[in-house]
Amino acid sequence: MDFQFLIELTINGALTGLMYSLVALGIVLIYKSSGVPNLAQGAMVMIAAYLVWIFAGLLGTPILVALFMALVGMFLFGMLTERFLLRKMVGQPIIMVVMLTLGLESLLRGIGPGLLGAAPKSLDLGLDMMPIIIGDVFINREYLVGGLIGAAMVGLSLLFFRTRLGTKLRAVSDNHISSWSVGISVERAVAISWGLAGISAVAAGAMWGSVQGVDWTLTALLFPAVAVVILGGLDSIYGVLIAGLIVGILGSVIPGYVDPLVGGGTRDVVTSLIILLTIMFRPHGIFGREDIERV
Amino acid sequence: MLTSSNTAVPLRDTAQPLLELSNVEVVYDRVFLAIKGVSLKIEQGQMIALLGSNGAGKSTTLKSISGLLAPERGLVTRGNLWFKGQDMLPLTPPKRVAAGLVHVLEGRRIFEHLTPEDNLLAAFPLRGSRQRYQELREQVFTYFPRLKERARTKSGYLSGGEQQMLAIGRALMTEPDLIMLDEPSLGLSPLLVQEIFEIIRKINEEQGMSVLLVEQNATAALAVVDYAYLLENGHVVMSGEAAVLRENPDVQEFYLGGAGKVDYLNVKHYRRRKRWLA
Ligand SMILES: Nc1ncnc2c1ncn2[C@@H]1O[C@H](COP(=O)(O)OP(=O)(O)OP(=O)(O)O)[C@@H](O)[C@H]1O
Ligand SMILES: [Mg+2]
Repeated sequence: MDFQFLIELTINGALTGLMYSLVALGIVLIYKSSGVPNLAQGAMVMIAAYLVWIFAGLLGTPILVALFMALVGMFLFGMLTERFLLRKMVGQPIIMVVMLTLGLESLLRGIGPGLLGAAPKSLDLGLDMMPIIIGDVFINREYLVGGLIGAAMVGLSLLFFRTRLGTKLRAVSDNHISSWSVGISVERAVAISWGLAGISAVAAGAMWGSVQGVDWTLTALLFPAVAVVILGGLDSIYGVLIAGLIVGILGSVIPGYVDPLVGGGTRDVVTSLIILLTIMFRPHGIFGREDIERV
Repeated sequence: MLTSSNTAVPLRDTAQPLLELSNVEVVYDRVFLAIKGVSLKIEQGQMIALLGSNGAGKSTTLKSISGLLAPERGLVTRGNLWFKGQDMLPLTPPKRVAAGLVHVLEGRRIFEHLTPEDNLLAAFPLRGSRQRYQELREQVFTYFPRLKERARTKSGYLSGGEQQMLAIGRALMTEPDLIMLDEPSLGLSPLLVQEIFEIIRKINEEQGMSVLLVEQNATAALAVVDYAYLLENGHVVMSGEAAVLRENPDVQEFYLGGAGKVDYLNVKHYRRRKRWLA
């Protein structure tokens, strides 16, 4: 067997996986502070990518400025989503909240292409496209940058949750009533977490938009991202990193060998199996917190 | 020195009390009347108890003060609530904490997945200085040395007593003028209850912090407080100096387990007397 081929699949899979982590991070940020699984994160990534494209591609703003404007825009978008949609759902069964995020997902998926045309837009971040060649192994440079950004964002999030504000957000995810009782504004905390998810959507949208073009198919990133958060644990930032790597590597190596035999489509099967097997055998994921039982 | 609750007409004269409830009524789910016109007041630096049996409305009274009724679909439908002369009813719970009152909930409810240290940090105001945070944390560790030893374990794994200490310590991080404790003795050994009550008393004396202690355990509570109110069925049926209440036969009989078993006749006698007192 060709060992080089395996290494190449593994490295590029790992980088793709870190880029999944970037999408998954938004889901965990929200879940960690409010307990809401946000199924609209894929669409938020798409909207963020459109924003970057509008600023950089359409209006011709320098890319760093465009990214910054998109960050501000998506932070506000996240906060407003919480303020006008989620806050109305306080006290409703969680299944209704999940349905709401699903509704938001379809709405956004329709709006972006509806307003800007369905044809994919190409997003140029000004990155060098030449693959990096180490020995005989080809590494995709965009994926390398995306993967590094993914890892950096995870690191930043880990640091953030150790600050005073981050600690308050963790407290809110632990217990809303107790948080209120010691003066933490639960609504504000949840709004901030949506804003942060908006920011992470910009990082994901820019990288994925650069890799595969900006159109509605970006929303399909929700699927591997869900696999990542389920495997890693819905509330574990650390899990996002490790599970991203696992989902990415398995989703690259297995199809690399099996696709030529069966004619393609293995990656989705692998992703689905990861979701199903995790839920069956380790419902809290690898790092997810379990409920504390004291006897 | 026994005063009936209804004669205590809201007075806003000379020195105003720190906290004053007048005629507060709370309804749950729009239909269930849980407290039916409760009036009480706490002076600056005073430590008082609110006693009563299961379902009397003690927790409801505290929630009306801290504003934590809303998540349980409860509403103050009548009455007034002043804290430092300010109307508290329109304020959200975090605003009331900022105003200086804090509620330690029944059944502890610490942040289980956070370490004790992070529990304390979470309760400290966002804008407070780092130095103040460290001072307060040290103070909490001085009152509850056991928390310091376990500062880095997940709080959910602390013992019941340690969790109660953490819940109190966490509340102290908000630098309250009034701390309200809902049944801190729940599920703890008598020795530990005594220890915790003594610490609370110490905090009250050293810091001049006012305390409102809700208890079913009247014996332990009356041993540490200055003044107490007795709540029955959503009404204040009796109030007075702790020393006086301890000697009161009705209180002894029904709250201190003094005069043997309770029979029907005694209940009747008590009811009659209660009505007269109220
Ligand atoms: N969320 C709620 N919804 C409806 N009714 C409630 C609610 N909370 C309390 N009640 C009712 O209000 C009354 C007073 O309850 P409360 O919890 O204040 O009593 P308590 O004196 O604290 O009792 P305990 O000593 O058992 O804690 C009870 O009859 C209770 O059933
Ligand atoms: Mg109670």
